[in-house]
Amino acid sequence: MAEQPDLSVHLGRGLRLRSPVMVASGTFGYGFDAPLVDRTALGAIVTKGTTPRAREGNAPTRIAETPSGMLNAIGLQNPGVDHVARIYAPMWAAWVNVAGDAVDDYVGVARRLDGVAGVAGLELNISCPNIANGLQFGIDPRPAAQLTTAVRAVTRLPLLVKLTPNVTDILAVGRAVEDAGADAVSAINTYVGMAIDVRRRRPVLSRGSGGLSGPAIKPLALHAVWQLSAALSIPVVGIGGIMTAADALEFLLAGAAAVQLGTVNYVRPQAAREVRDGIASYLDEHHLGDLGALPIRPARVEAHV
Amino acid sequence: MSLALKPAVVLERSTPMSGAVELVVHHPPAAAALRPGQFFQLAVAAPQTILRRPYSAAWVDPDSGRIGFIFNVVGAGSGWLAVRHEGHELDLLGPLGRGFDLDGSKPAIIVAGGLGVAVFPGVVGALVARGRQVTVLLGARTSAQLLPSGRFPGAEVMTATDDGTAGYQGSVVDLMPVALGRFPPPQGEGRGGGPEIFACGPTPMLQALLEKSRRLGVPLGLIQVSLETPMGCGVGTCLGCAIARPGGGYLLTCLDGPCVRADRVDWSRTTDAFHG
Repeated sequence: MAEQPDLSVHLGRGLRLRSPVMVASGTFGYGFDAPLVDRTALGAIVTKGTTPRAREGNAPTRIAETPSGMLNAIGLQNPGVDHVARIYAPMWAAWVNVAGDAVDDYVGVARRLDGVAGVAGLELNISCPNIANGLQFGIDPRPAAQLTTAVRAVTRLPLLVKLTPNVTDILAVGRAVEDAGADAVSAINTYVGMAIDVRRRRPVLSRGSGGLSGPAIKPLALHAVWQLSAALSIPVVGIGGIMTAADALEFLLAGAAAVQLGTVNYVRPQAAREVRDGIASYLDEHHLGDLGALPIRPARVEAHV
Repeated sequence: MSLALKPAVVLERSTPMSGAVELVVHHPPAAAALRPGQFFQLAVAAPQTILRRPYSAAWVDPDSGRIGFIFNVVGAGSGWLAVRHEGHELDLLGPLGRGFDLDGSKPAIIVAGGLGVAVFPGVVGALVARGRQVTVLLGARTSAQLLPSGRFPGAEVMTATDDGTAGYQGSVVDLMPVALGRFPPPQGEGRGGGPEIFACGPTPMLQALLEKSRRLGVPLGLIQVSLETPMGCGVGTCLGCAIARPGGGYLLTCLDGPCVRADRVDWSRTTDAFHG
């Protein structure tokens, strides 16, 4: 058998992942709730969005299927950072997705997790569409940068900032968080959308709107990643409707350093393994030694290794 | 949790009542693991669909490895399932969730509204096999939409239809006083006395049943319901299938249910969900 292609990726601060396939926040719980996913295929797990205190989440109905996609408005149901640090962290190595209502919330969560064994990195969720003010940091470069700076100051962990596509200029926000000290960005979070129950004449989701994910948003996500990876010098983690290895390769060719699988985890638990192996086969077939050879355009990306 | 990874094979398809489809599939490991009231996540390949569809098993025969599903065609996913036929493979995940607690010894009353009946053939069979006296109350809009009473051997079946074409004209919930009248009344607030009740149907029907039961002095703890909500993953990850809990917070239908005791749900914060 031929030599295995090198699938490792660097996401900043010396952090090396053995595989470019991650699981997106909210689609893997805290890593204990997905019994069928083959973890050895994964470069990293990103947890459910975690806030300073426990949150109950939104009233049902919380999810709805739409053409080639799904809407969710879970509302950051989570047990709070203290529980995560004390109970969960000793059991895994994961990136913790950090969310909140104010800068102090993010800073508090980051501070609580700094130095906690098992926490491999932080993903700042500045783009949750499903709580009041969830998008306030992500839609404007200045608050996005202020938040990133504040968190950067209190943690030594690798810092990934998850961008929202619900903006006019995603590059401006991407550049702002890069300048503020983000090690990488993940793009994209869900698009705000809705569905209406015609028979009952009311929105399907109790909250009215929710976040759209799945193949319906893939071309939009791909374009965001294409733009970001050309404009930024930090790695971009591509997210949005990836169902297959071919989908993941599109993102890697567009310039993503790694990808996150989201909605597909609900449908095909074996997807992470299939995508990882499919990428390896592609590199092998095209006689490419590593992922760095994939981006269509010359790489500007120089991870902080 | 025992989870099926290999596909099931469809053995037969039939029409158990008007508008419904019954699929019988072969999957010995899943059949062996299944407890009455549990569900499966069935993958569908209809255009533009994404999520698996949660269906409670209607019945199981562990000896032959067969599992039955009964469903209505309400959208693209069920429409795709409805045209599977003998020899087709079906990707199923499960059995999932908690089934009914069948360990008691009291007589049992089954209350099934509309397609809620789909979970009960196997439940009734298991209750009868345990030697329990079973009364099945079946409700539908019209007689053609009633699952034939022959599907409940060993149980007494009473029917109600909205249009009066079979049995009592009106809601299946109205049959409760008659069914309850045959047994000694429940004693106090505990779970002593009276029969145990198992119910499945549209949320308004369940709410009416609970209200009627309250008036008849049946403690909520003696009533088990099979919940139906929109569902994402089916394994507790997506947190999409929340059901309000008394005192705040939520249960997950997929992990805490689908079968729960009625006093675990805040019915005032529960509404019928949209099913496309």
